[in-house]
Amino acid sequence: MRDMVEHMEGINRLMARYGVKFGIYKNREFHEQLFPFDPLPRVISAEEFVYLEKGLTQRVDALNCFLADIYGEKKIVKDGVIPEDFIFSSKGYLPQCEGMMPPKRIFSHISGIDLVQAKDKSWYILEDNLRIPSGASYPMIARELTRQASPRTFMRNHVTDNRDYAGMLKEVMAHVNTGGINVVLTPGRYNAAFFEHSYLAERSGAILAMPQDLYVEGNRLYYRQYQGKQLRVGTVYRRISDEYLDPLCFEPESLIGVPGIMDVYRSGNVALVNAPGNGVADDKGIYYFVPHMVKYYLGQEAVLKNAPTYLAFYEQDRRYILEHLESLVVKDVSEAGGYGVVFGSDLTKEKLEELAQIIIRDPRRFIAQEVIDFIDLDIVEGDGSVPRKADLRAFVLSGKTTRVWASGLTRFSRNPDSFVVNSSQGGGFKDTWVLSQ
Amino acid sequence: MKRLSFRYKLDLKWDQAVWDHHFLIRCIPAENGCQHREALDVRIEPADTIDVVRDGFGNKGYAGAVRRPHDRLFLEAKGSVQVDRSGETEPFHPMYRFPSAYTMPDEKIRQFLREIRQDLQVVAGNSGQDLQAGAVAGEPCGGLMDQKKLEYMMDRLYGRFAYVPGVTTVKTTAAEAFLLEQGVCQDYAHVFISLCRLAGVPARYAAGMMLGEGASHAWAEVWLSDRWLGMDPTNNRLVDETYIKLTHGRDFADASIDRGRFLGFAVQSQEISVKVEEIL
Repeated sequence: MRDMVEHMEGINRLMARYGVKFGIYKNREFHEQLFPFDPLPRVISAEEFVYLEKGLTQRVDALNCFLADIYGEKKIVKDGVIPEDFIFSSKGYLPQCEGMMPPKRIFSHISGIDLVQAKDKSWYILEDNLRIPSGASYPMIARELTRQASPRTFMRNHVTDNRDYAGMLKEVMAHVNTGGINVVLTPGRYNAAFFEHSYLAERSGAILAMPQDLYVEGNRLYYRQYQGKQLRVGTVYRRISDEYLDPLCFEPESLIGVPGIMDVYRSGNVALVNAPGNGVADDKGIYYFVPHMVKYYLGQEAVLKNAPTYLAFYEQDRRYILEHLESLVVKDVSEAGGYGVVFGSDLTKEKLEELAQIIIRDPRRFIAQEVIDFIDLDIVEGDGSVPRKADLRAFVLSGKTTRVWASGLTRFSRNPDSFVVNSSQGGGFKDTWVLSQ
Repeated sequence: MKRLSFRYKLDLKWDQAVWDHHFLIRCIPAENGCQHREALDVRIEPADTIDVVRDGFGNKGYAGAVRRPHDRLFLEAKGSVQVDRSGETEPFHPMYRFPSAYTMPDEKIRQFLREIRQDLQVVAGNSGQDLQAGAVAGEPCGGLMDQKKLEYMMDRLYGRFAYVPGVTTVKTTAAEAFLLEQGVCQDYAHVFISLCRLAGVPARYAAGMMLGEGASHAWAEVWLSDRWLGMDPTNNRLVDETYIKLTHGRDFADASIDRGRFLGFAVQSQEISVKVEEIL
């Protein structure tokens, strides 16, 4: 590990040069920030990874079944497993997608599942990200650079190579392709994850397209090459969120969308990765029901546990939440990216009362969870190291089969008192090593 | 059963040329048990491409593009339909139980529903039970109000609200319009839908045409446990066989008849004219 620490500064310098950054909008201004890299990796044993792989594959398969069901027959609602309220009043539910079946019936091709490990070593799912989970590019490039800086480290340790992510991505895009090229659709360089868009396009052999490069004609999607030649597009790995994807279908004022792309998709003439409408399945309120989905669709017990969660919607849960508010973490289901998360223990008495009133007024909006005392990972600070809270985003790719990438994005909080690790909240990241033996 | 002939004209003009223009005009009359399309003829000028498309709500229309610079887009759809209100309506969908962006109720709308509930008790000697459950919890409850009570509610809204063009825009929400107590058919429909859902009655927004000459029209459809019933709060009447439905959705955002996006620095003016006549 010492070699790694020695190379920390050099690696961070290289990352800055390669543009490993993410953008943030704050007070209507765009800022780019480096995503600080810590050289000490998270290490997952081979045995542990087999367990995680089993649980994650199962979870993502169930979520894909759920999405096909919701935009189709809605059996899980009719059978009373999940109340209508958590589906059809969710912001993530898009009626525009009713009756659509994506190519090969896959809705979530790239799923980013966030987990934490508790002090007793057991893993808990924190949330599912099925819309446009970002972050795979960071451990990819970190591994590449650390391998260059310190090849001996990787000769001595049996670390599973994680440089196959681009290949996995390419396979997924090819599997659902309806005939034509693969493109990565980016809204442009002012997007928070522009580095990732360009990196993944380059690595997976897809074309990086801006919205104005794509157009619809005769119910097909085309890419306009700079010489004016047109190429049919079969798969769009789109990094534009649903509401801006097509101004004729969703947000009419969107300038970053491709007009008519949803009609082409509806006709089965292009694959969208991930499918629009997935937000209904990664809503913080739906999270509560994922273990039920595993049982309902797959007839299995969920391997990976949810953090103990209470739904304010259910009266019994609501009572529990209001009685234990000071020890719970309360989440607004309509927010993402670490926003709308409140720890009861951080609040004054007045603020707690205020929060209780908001929950009573609008119970559907909130879930509460027990605070999991998750494991600290060491990060380098000065000449020594300090423990910090960290989570893991695992990437699960669904193509011909569902596979878990043998790596992942480990994010940590730089603030010693904080549990919030989101990069938009100022955290850093580590590489994630999965040992091969 | 009635047979109606219709003409829907949309004339968009710009003071300067625009280009790369994409549009979606959902002006193909809905096809269901109550409404059957006999003939349809459409002319769109100019257009580089035109496709007939169907959206997630079941609405149909023309999606097209004009890439070259132009300062006018003209559409005329003519045809005839058979309307028979005794026919079967479309199936239910649970999304119409819940508030949407345009129809989110505020305290004033909630208060109005409470007033209606109380008065309904006095007027009809009724317990007002159906209205009560939804209004108290402030949540849709799936309770079923009968048609008479909904008509009473529509009548109250009609009495409270004045038809005044120009005070609201296409972006005005139910709560904003209700505060003004003024608006046009879109606003009447939004407020009424907001009240219905609050009272536990699934409701949706419908846009289309009605007998006579003028602009396009909007109304509400409410779900009465086995069928959709059209209610027109702007005119305080039930939707009969003189109405032709073009689109429906949770609110205006889902069901607007025409939408488009173009590039250019032009100011747009829009003229919609509709003519519906009975074929005797």
